[in-house]
Amino acid sequence: MLTQAVIKDLTAIVGSKNIITNQAGLAAYGYDATLMSQRPVGIVFPRSTEDASALVKYANRAGLVMVPRGAGTNLSGGSLPVENSLVICVSRMTRILEIDPKNFTATVEVGLVNFDLQEELEKHGYYYPPDPASYKASTLGGNIAECSGGPRCFKYGVTRDYILGLEVVLPSGKVIEVGGKNFKSEFRYDLTRLLVGSEGTLGLVTKAILRILPKPFAKRTMLAIYNKVEDASLTVADIVAAGIIPTTLEMMDNLLINTADEHVKLGLPRDAGALLIIEVDGYEVDLDNQVRLIEELCNKADVRSFKVATSQAEADQLWLARRTVIGSVGRRRPSYSLQDVTIPRSTFPQMVDAILACSRRYDLPIGILAHAGDGNFHPLVLFDERDADEVVRVHKAEVDLIRDALALGGTMSGEHGIGVLKKEYLDLEFTDVAIEAFRKVKRSFDPTAMLNRGKIVDIAAEG
Amino acid sequence: MAKEGKKSSTLDEVIKELYLCNKCGFCQTACKVYKTDLNESFSARGRVQLIKGVAEGRLPVDEGFRDAVNSCLLCQECAVACPSGVKPHELVLAARRYMQQTEGLPLDKKIILGTLADPFRRKVAFSTARFLRNNVSNRIEGFNELKGIDVRGMPIDKVGFIDQVPELNKAQASKGRVGFFVGCFINHSLAKTGHAIVKVLNKNAIDVVVPKKQLCCGTPQNAYGDFELAKKNARKNIRLFKDLDAVVTGCGSCGAMLKKEYLHLFADEPEFLPEVEAFAQKIFDFSAYVMHEIKLDPEKFKVFNHKVTYHDGCHMARGLKITKEPREILKSIPRIEYVELREADRCCGAAGLFQSYFYEIAKDISRQKVQNIENTGADIIVTGCPACVHRIQGSLRLAGKEQKVVHLADLLAEAYQ
Ligand code: SF4
Ligand code: SF4
Repeated sequence: MLTQAVIKDLTAIVGSKNIITNQAGLAAYGYDATLMSQRPVGIVFPRSTEDASALVKYANRAGLVMVPRGAGTNLSGGSLPVENSLVICVSRMTRILEIDPKNFTATVEVGLVNFDLQEELEKHGYYYPPDPASYKASTLGGNIAECSGGPRCFKYGVTRDYILGLEVVLPSGKVIEVGGKNFKSEFRYDLTRLLVGSEGTLGLVTKAILRILPKPFAKRTMLAIYNKVEDASLTVADIVAAGIIPTTLEMMDNLLINTADEHVKLGLPRDAGALLIIEVDGYEVDLDNQVRLIEELCNKADVRSFKVATSQAEADQLWLARRTVIGSVGRRRPSYSLQDVTIPRSTFPQMVDAILACSRRYDLPIGILAHAGDGNFHPLVLFDERDADEVVRVHKAEVDLIRDALALGGTMSGEHGIGVLKKEYLDLEFTDVAIEAFRKVKRSFDPTAMLNRGKIVDIAAEG
Repeated sequence: MAKEGKKSSTLDEVIKELYLCNKCGFCQTACKVYKTDLNESFSARGRVQLIKGVAEGRLPVDEGFRDAVNSCLLCQECAVACPSGVKPHELVLAARRYMQQTEGLPLDKKIILGTLADPFRRKVAFSTARFLRNNVSNRIEGFNELKGIDVRGMPIDKVGFIDQVPELNKAQASKGRVGFFVGCFINHSLAKTGHAIVKVLNKNAIDVVVPKKQLCCGTPQNAYGDFELAKKNARKNIRLFKDLDAVVTGCGSCGAMLKKEYLHLFADEPEFLPEVEAFAQKIFDFSAYVMHEIKLDPEKFKVFNHKVTYHDGCHMARGLKITKEPREILKSIPRIEYVELREADRCCGAAGLFQSYFYEIAKDISRQKVQNIENTGADIIVTGCPACVHRIQGSLRLAGKEQKVVHLADLLAEAYQ
């Protein structure tokens, strides 16, 4: 609990409308999209970088650990409060400071929701490529902290590739700017790229200069439906081997086809083993050829049906199904464990086999969702958090999936971050020396772990 | 007073649905209150999680909880967005009912809901409001607005519509007969819309029966958890319209209540349920009746040189699921220029008592509606809900705008001139 004196001081910084200390409010900020929860002692909403800096300085003096937060859609516990912590929520810093189409940049406050930016950019004929499934809710600040990907990564890359500059409140409260509008510059130590994906452990980002792109001239969205998931994964390997780079190459298995269709009601065949959503973009004249090539590869892998969307509305419905599929599994079992293991694309079929084997081994339903083009898997292990025996098996399955990915030369996290959820598995992927190097980075920014303590790595607080 | 740790039967009934929420947060964009206030307790996910906390005895019912639950517009946008199939607005209703049962309603709400439910008290209240408006607020310089509600511009009819018309309103050469469920808003403050509905139906050779004893549909009582009072009136309304084969409503909220919510309300009375079902079957929103049952003849309309847009009320769009009919009717009027409104089906900020209890958020929501209307360039905004007519017209007026907001029936009645 915060004392009245602390509440008064915080209120003096942000105003009475931007602080929450009542029980319901604390509970509402005690969770993210994972199963974990921990109530903070207070929530404050900075309205500007100056507010944020003042808050961080004050929290340091008052000895309050700070947890940065945006929309709270995090999937690894990175935005989850820790014990006795003050949540600094940037959700009310939503201004678009500049859209500069000539220089292909947009400058924004990081509480802005990804989708709201896209809507604005659309008016100028531009877009911002990283669009994680949560993009309608998640903030750009959250996307930056997690280095979010999204379906378009295969061709366009991840958040890190689109951040040109940042304004950051350091854990001490001092404000620095890193990077800038220039496309090239010799950064020496490239702090921008270090901060992106650091899960709010190194600094509180308040503004960002983003790289935006003109909207592609044309697009084709294809839906390929397979009898067996193995056939779909063969197509993925073939497309990659043929040197075709679709914008997106998404896979969903039978279980997910069913839950997604219950939500979006597209009329997908419920008995299909898997489907691929494939999209290509570019100049109109090139696209038909690409579609033809892809269709041939699908046919080679015994595709059951292959279809090109005939309207934008039809394509939008497909995307809606894809974007909401994770949530839709709630229709089967109340809880899910969601991983984001990533493997080199050429080993895609082996990872599919490994997931199928894992599902059989622990007798747990596992839905396979994948940004197939990136080799990024989202195996969804379904269970009921109230069933203790199931929970034990789920944990074992999680470890096995990580081991399987690592054995294929992959990594445990493609885009959701380590947070607290995957912290315990860190040593499966990294050597002690590497983990110690992580700690050194953390210490050099935040020696007393005041910012997002206990995320990614623990450091002994050296007071 | 905070009541901690007590499990309730009302919340027990919905516990399974509470567990369906996986906290993905996808409903945040859908929730206009969240998008305006950007505070998690005022989001659909926040409400669901807090209600779960109370249901499990982890959280007390305190001020913060009440605000979270009472600040819901019941607009149902979240349910459409939720991939898991959660219906947060129904959970909010269950929580309001739980609060009503365990601690009763606060006095002000109790009086408002009781007044709306009782025809005599309702009449007295509206004429007092009219008196106050005419004699007090209109005489105070600059007194235009009370918590974002356009007081001066709010029409309140001297005599309620139901008392202005005979029980049977005959058409020339009549071909059919419908009942008209008037609803409080049309009765007391939009009598002209009531007349317009009768006129359009009469013009199409339909007799209109306005049963004098009809009561409030029960939306306000239902929304704040007083199901008993809502049921009492519902039972009377159902019996009152028994002999009619079709009943027209001119309000999305009344329509959704009569057609959908009554079925929920009486779910625990299997013996009475068939009668409720039969009643629900014969409820038609004005637009649906006009389009499907009488099929308007656009030849008869006068040329209408206006740029028009349409706002879907929440209960019209997501309660009754009526979105196509009003648009098609509008487009059929000769020479009308129809433009689509951005976020047409998002709440206008009225939402019953919400606009006075959470007026700052309501004002912000209405401001967004006004901006979207401005952007269309339309000079007439059509809607099917009297509450939206008032809210949007009031917000436009307070913003110094000239556009007119009318009910679909008003526009059609004029087109028949
Ligand atoms: S109500 Fe539905 S959309 Fe909202 S957080 Fe819960 S599961 Fe997600
Ligand atoms: S019904 Fe509307 S206001 Fe209420 S939680 Fe859902 S989206 Fe928000």
